[in-house]
Amino acid sequence: MSDPPSFPEGFPVPERGLEEVAAAEPQDLAAALAFALLRVSPEPDKGVPRPGLFVAAKAWLRERGRPFAQGWQMPTLSSGGLIVVAVADERQVIWALEEALKSGAVGGAVAALSAPDFVATRRLAFAAKAGGAAAAILRTTGAEGLSAAWRRWRIGSLASAPQAFDVRAPGPARLRAELTRRRDGLPGVWELEWDDDRRIWRDAKSGPAAAQQARGLRLAAGLARDGLDPFGPSSEGPRQVG
Amino acid sequence: MTVWTRSALHQKGLVRSAEGSDQEPIPFALVERNGRGLCLRAVNGAAQRLGLWRGQSQADARAMAPDLVTVPADPAAETLALQRLALWAERFSPCVALMAEGPAMEGLALDMTGGTHLFGGETAFIAAFEARLAKAGILARVAMADSLGAAWALARFGGMAQIAPVGGAREALADLPVEALRLEPEAVTLLKRFGLQRIGDLYPLPRAGLARRFRGPRAGAMGLKVVERLDQALGFRAEPVVPVRPPPAYRSFQVFAEPITETAGVALYLPDLAKALAEQLQRDGQGARRLTLTGYRVDGATTSIEAGLSAASAQPSHLLRLLKEKGLEALDLGFGIDALMLSAPVAEPYQTQQEGLDGERSATEAAALAGLIDRLQARLGEDAVQTPRPRGSWLPERSEGWDAASGLGFGAFDPVLRPRPILLFHPPERVEAIAELPDSAPARFTWRRVARRVVRAEGPERIAPEWWRLSPASPRAPRTRDYYRIEDETGRRYWLFREGLYGREDQDRTPEWWLHGVFA
Repeated sequence: MSDPPSFPEGFPVPERGLEEVAAAEPQDLAAALAFALLRVSPEPDKGVPRPGLFVAAKAWLRERGRPFAQGWQMPTLSSGGLIVVAVADERQVIWALEEALKSGAVGGAVAALSAPDFVATRRLAFAAKAGGAAAAILRTTGAEGLSAAWRRWRIGSLASAPQAFDVRAPGPARLRAELTRRRDGLPGVWELEWDDDRRIWRDAKSGPAAAQQARGLRLAAGLARDGLDPFGPSSEGPRQVG
Repeated sequence: MTVWTRSALHQKGLVRSAEGSDQEPIPFALVERNGRGLCLRAVNGAAQRLGLWRGQSQADARAMAPDLVTVPADPAAETLALQRLALWAERFSPCVALMAEGPAMEGLALDMTGGTHLFGGETAFIAAFEARLAKAGILARVAMADSLGAAWALARFGGMAQIAPVGGAREALADLPVEALRLEPEAVTLLKRFGLQRIGDLYPLPRAGLARRFRGPRAGAMGLKVVERLDQALGFRAEPVVPVRPPPAYRSFQVFAEPITETAGVALYLPDLAKALAEQLQRDGQGARRLTLTGYRVDGATTSIEAGLSAASAQPSHLLRLLKEKGLEALDLGFGIDALMLSAPVAEPYQTQQEGLDGERSATEAAALAGLIDRLQARLGEDAVQTPRPRGSWLPERSEGWDAASGLGFGAFDPVLRPRPILLFHPPERVEAIAELPDSAPARFTWRRVARRVVRAEGPERIAPEWWRLSPASPRAPRTRDYYRIEDETGRRYWLFREGLYGREDQDRTPEWWLHGVFA
C-alpha cells in the first residue's frame, strides 16, 4: 500500500467535484459502478475518512442489484463506512445526493440516475464543491444531454487480464474508461486493470504486461510477502491482507 | 392590554355573494337543509332590507321576497374562504384565529396587543381594515375590545361603537342585546322570557341564581353557559385563541404604497427583508430551518413560497439564494400585492463551526453526519437509509446485514479474500445454464433472455447450506451452492451458482443455476 497509485499517463486523478459515469452498455453497469467508486475516492484527508454514500431508487436496486459491501473496493469503506440510501424515485435520488454533498458529512457519493437535467447537475456540482466531496452520477444509458459535471466517462467492460496461475480463470478485472467530455483538457481513453495486491486500479497497458513478464518475479515477491504461500487464501494469487 | 379585533362577516358565502349584491340590490341568500327543511344560511343586504333573516325557512322567505335568488350553501368552501382571509389578515397581526364555534358565529379574531400604533392608532386601524376588506368585496365589521367576547359583541351589535376603551367593556356592553353574548338560541329565548333584554340587565343579578337557572335542559351537560359567556365578554374568564397557524418567531415585513404586480418588484425588496430577518435571527443566535415568503394581495388573498434549509442558517445571502432558487415566479401576484412578509416559522440554535483536530473524526463532522442521516430519514423513511454490517454467515445474502444508519458507527469489514461481486441480486435470478460436466462450470448460460458464452470460469467455491436455518416456509432442506466466477465473451463477469449436487442432494430435484451478482 505504500506505492502511490499508478494511474496511466494523463489520467485525471480523482478529485472533489461532480462527475458523470455512464455504462457504455447496460451490461457494463458493474464496471461503471466500480469506476465510479474509484472516482469518488479522492486521496483521504488527514484523520478518519468520511463515509461513502450510495443513492439509488428502489426500482433500480431491484432491477440491477443491490450494493454488496464485501465486493466494494472503496478505500473509504474500510474505516469511513458506507451509507446506502434507497429512495422511491429519481427526484428523491437527486435530493438525497444534494443533501449529502452539501452537508459535508460524506467524502464521496455515487447516485444512480438515468437522466438528470442540467439544473439538477449544476446544483449537485455546487453541493459537491460546498461539501468538499467527490460525487459521481452513475448512468445506465449513454451520457446525452447537458450536464454540469466536470467530467463525463463512458465505461465498458474488457476481457480480464490473464490469470497468473490459471489460464482458464478470469484474471484481474479490466475496463475501458473513455473520457468523453472534460472541462479542463482533452478527452482520452484509458484501459484500467484492477490490482488486487494493492487494491487499486492501475494502467492495464503497463500493469498486465509487466505482470506477465515478471510472473516469476511477482510470484517470488508474493511468496516473500505472504509467508511462502503463493496460492494465498484463494486461487487468484497472492493478496495482501489489510 | 389585550385588544381583540373582531370582523363579523355579515356575508357568509364570501366568494359567491360577490355576484351582484352591491351594485344591483338583488335579494340573495345561501340555503342549507336542516331539521326544518331548507333554511336560509346567509342573506345579503338587499335580502335583509326585505326583512329576511338567517334561519328563516326558504318557503317563508320566498313568500316575502318572490325574486329571492338562492344558492345551496357549501360550508366547506365557506370555511376555506374564511381561512384564506385569516391568512391574509396576518399582515395586521401575527396571531389570527378563526372563530367558527357555532352557526352564525363565523369571523376572525386578531390579537392586536401593542400593534395598533403601527397603523396610526385604533380608530385609524379599524377604518383601514374595513376599507381594505371593502376593497376586496367583503362586507365586514371590525370592533376592538379587551376580550374576545366583547369584541365579538361590538362587531355584531355595537352599531357606531366599535372600540371599547381599555377596561371599558362593562359599560360598552351594557346596552347591547343579550344575543351579543354568543349564547345559544334557547338561552336567548329564556332570557327574553325573563325580561332580560340587555347585557346590562344581567350585571346586578346574583351569579349563583343565574348559573342555576341556565343549567340547561340536559342534566350533566355544560348548560347554556350564560355566566361563562358573560365572564368571557367581561374578561373575567380566559378564552383560548388558536391561531390559524402558529405565529412565526421571526419575521420581517415590508408594506408598499403601491401594489406590486411583478416578480421583479418582489426580488427588489427581498434583500432588505432577508437582511432584516437575518438580523433578528442572529441577535438570538438562531438560524432558520424553514422560510416562508408571503405576499398579501390586494384582493384579500395570500400567496406564498416555502423553502426548507438543511442546516440552520442566518445568512441573508443564503436565505436569499434559497428563495430565488425556489422560484419567485411561483408567487401568484394577482392584481398586485401590497405587503410582503419573510418569516422563519422554524428556527433553531445556530452554531458557528469549528475545525476539528487531526486524527479523529471531528465533532462537527460527526454532527454533520448525524444531521444528514436525520434529514434523510425524516424525509425518506427510517428504513431508507441503511448501512451494511458484517454477519457471521457464508451465504452471501446473509453475510451482510443492513441496519438503519445511525451515524454512530459503521460495520468494519475484513478484507475479502474471495472474489465477491459489486452488485448482488437478492433474491438470486434464475438462469438456464449448460455445463460440460455435471459438476463443472457452465459453458453457456441464458440470463434475462440473453444467451452468453462462457470464456473463462473460476470455481467452484462451495458454500454449504445452513441446515440449521430450516424455515417453516420452505420445508425443503437447503442445498449446497457451488459458486463460479464467470467471464463471458464480451468481457463481463458474473457470479453464478449451482444449487444442489448431482445425485447427492435432494434426488427428486435437479440442481438449478442462479445468477447471484455481477463483478466489475
